[in-house]
Amino acid sequence: MQRLRKPWSDHRAELLLGAVSLSTGLVVLFMIAFVAARAWPTFAHNGLGWLGPGGSLKVQVENMLATSTKPPASAYHVRAWPIVYGTLLITALAVLLALPLAVLSAVFIVELAPTALRRTMIRVVRLLASVPSVIWGLLGILVLVPFVGNHLVTASERTSLQNTVQLTGAGLAIAVVLLTLMITPIMVALTCDALATVPPAWREGAAALGVNRVRAIRAVTLRAVRPAIVAATVLATARALGEAIMISMVSGSVFFSPRPGDGVAFLFEPVRTLASTIVDFREGLGGAPALNSTLYAFALLLLFSVFVLSLAGYLVKLPLRKYQVRG
Amino acid sequence: MHRIRRIAASLAAVTLIGSAVPAIASATSVITISGATASYPLVQLLAHKYVKLLHNKVSFRISQGGAQIGINDVAAGRVTIGDVSRDPLPTDPPGLVFYPIAKYAICVVTNKSNHLANLTEAQVQAIFTGKDREWSQIPGASASGPIDIISRTSTAGVLTNFKSLFLANKSVSKLAAEEPSEGLLEQQVENTPGAIGFLSNYRADSGSVNPVGYNGIGCTLANASSGQYSGVARFYEVTKGKATGAAAKFISWIDSSQVAHKIVASQWIPV
Repeated sequence: MQRLRKPWSDHRAELLLGAVSLSTGLVVLFMIAFVAARAWPTFAHNGLGWLGPGGSLKVQVENMLATSTKPPASAYHVRAWPIVYGTLLITALAVLLALPLAVLSAVFIVELAPTALRRTMIRVVRLLASVPSVIWGLLGILVLVPFVGNHLVTASERTSLQNTVQLTGAGLAIAVVLLTLMITPIMVALTCDALATVPPAWREGAAALGVNRVRAIRAVTLRAVRPAIVAATVLATARALGEAIMISMVSGSVFFSPRPGDGVAFLFEPVRTLASTIVDFREGLGGAPALNSTLYAFALLLLFSVFVLSLAGYLVKLPLRKYQVRG
Repeated sequence: MHRIRRIAASLAAVTLIGSAVPAIASATSVITISGATASYPLVQLLAHKYVKLLHNKVSFRISQGGAQIGINDVAAGRVTIGDVSRDPLPTDPPGLVFYPIAKYAICVVTNKSNHLANLTEAQVQAIFTGKDREWSQIPGASASGPIDIISRTSTAGVLTNFKSLFLANKSVSKLAAEEPSEGLLEQQVENTPGAIGFLSNYRADSGSVNPVGYNGIGCTLANASSGQYSGVARFYEVTKGKATGAAAKFISWIDSSQVAHKIVASQWIPV
């Protein structure tokens, strides 16, 4: 007890904090190694070809389950293109929708809104950013799916596609809308932070030159925070890529690649992503080795993409330092 | 510095309590159970009664997640008992012993607005394999337009039984939505006017969906108990090797006691 009473020396505190941060790094390394080891059989049997198209993913998953404890090499056969495509499609659409929304709201909040409104808005945005995804999923399945299914999908769309795909309402459109709602607040918050760090002198300089407010925002402020906007987009993309439970609840749970050629019906077609497939088949984890390894391969691909994205996010923020603006 | 001492003191207290609890708990035996969502309500009721009868000399930790999770957990020794809602499969890990504890009916269900009263075996197969795609092809259906098949992911125990009891082991159409749980399937059928799916009778009777008769017999508990309704499957308690100790006593209590039979008969069918 005597020793506890003494203030800690800098050296001891340094060692303790260092050990803690080092262990986070170790956890990340261990996680990658663990997932990679579990995913290895899938890579060994399919190479990188499993990312491509070919055959029915539903049948392939059923084959994995049918062989259980000692799977033959053929059980590992998988071509995951429908869900890779689904992941890219949902993420790209959501980020494209969220980007203009986020930049415009951030500019309004920081540059144009009166102080009282600005403070409230920032709080609301941070609150929205922290809504758990399962809440969005519930909103989707209880409100949006019945609405879209009963009011937006037309009888002729349903009938013309009835031998290709079922349009129940759950599908691409709802997943994209909810995902946009989930990632926009994150992007708004990050962009707001960056906008707030733009030196006031720059704006004043623009005003002194006789530039009006909107032009100054476009030419000076937004230009200065461009790297921060890219960084926010990259982080939001990573968030969107990994979203699992909400998408599993509202996207129709079918291995189907939505076809843009189907016109408006394209928006209502069901889709699965890498992450939502892991959620849908979580019951198989620890069971049939072939399915197990395949799910881990999906997870490894997600981990890899998210790491690449966060590295990219870091790199694009570097130029900000040049202007001594923190992103 | 006072704060550090206070933290240290509370840590010490927590450690003391933590080490005391196992000492108390060791007087009772703990049965851990994981597995099927479909049988969870039944096992929960049985365990609750059993604990009361034994005056807390035994306690339960029950979690649900799916029949396959029950199989995996019990085979790996993570739980004492796995709850399983399907018959043993050749692909199950070796050495598991299946004790049937109850039977349950699987009902074909449609949206409430679709007052379909009955389907024959041939019709069920035509619908679920994707041969018939429109409600107009099904006499007695009041829904119109395409049929929306709502099924379960291929790991689900109820799907395995549904295929063997209703579809002669044919595969469900690739068009079908594959829901990861009974609750999500029920929700989807409730949402979609043209939907058809299948649920265990406990959920099908909840009033949110329309249970459909099979081969002329209504999907009710009474018809399933009397043996007229043919879509009946079993719930199992599964152990690694023969059940021993507290788990064996619990399973034989379910099997032999009148009290347990009454609980089973309330919403399921005694074996």
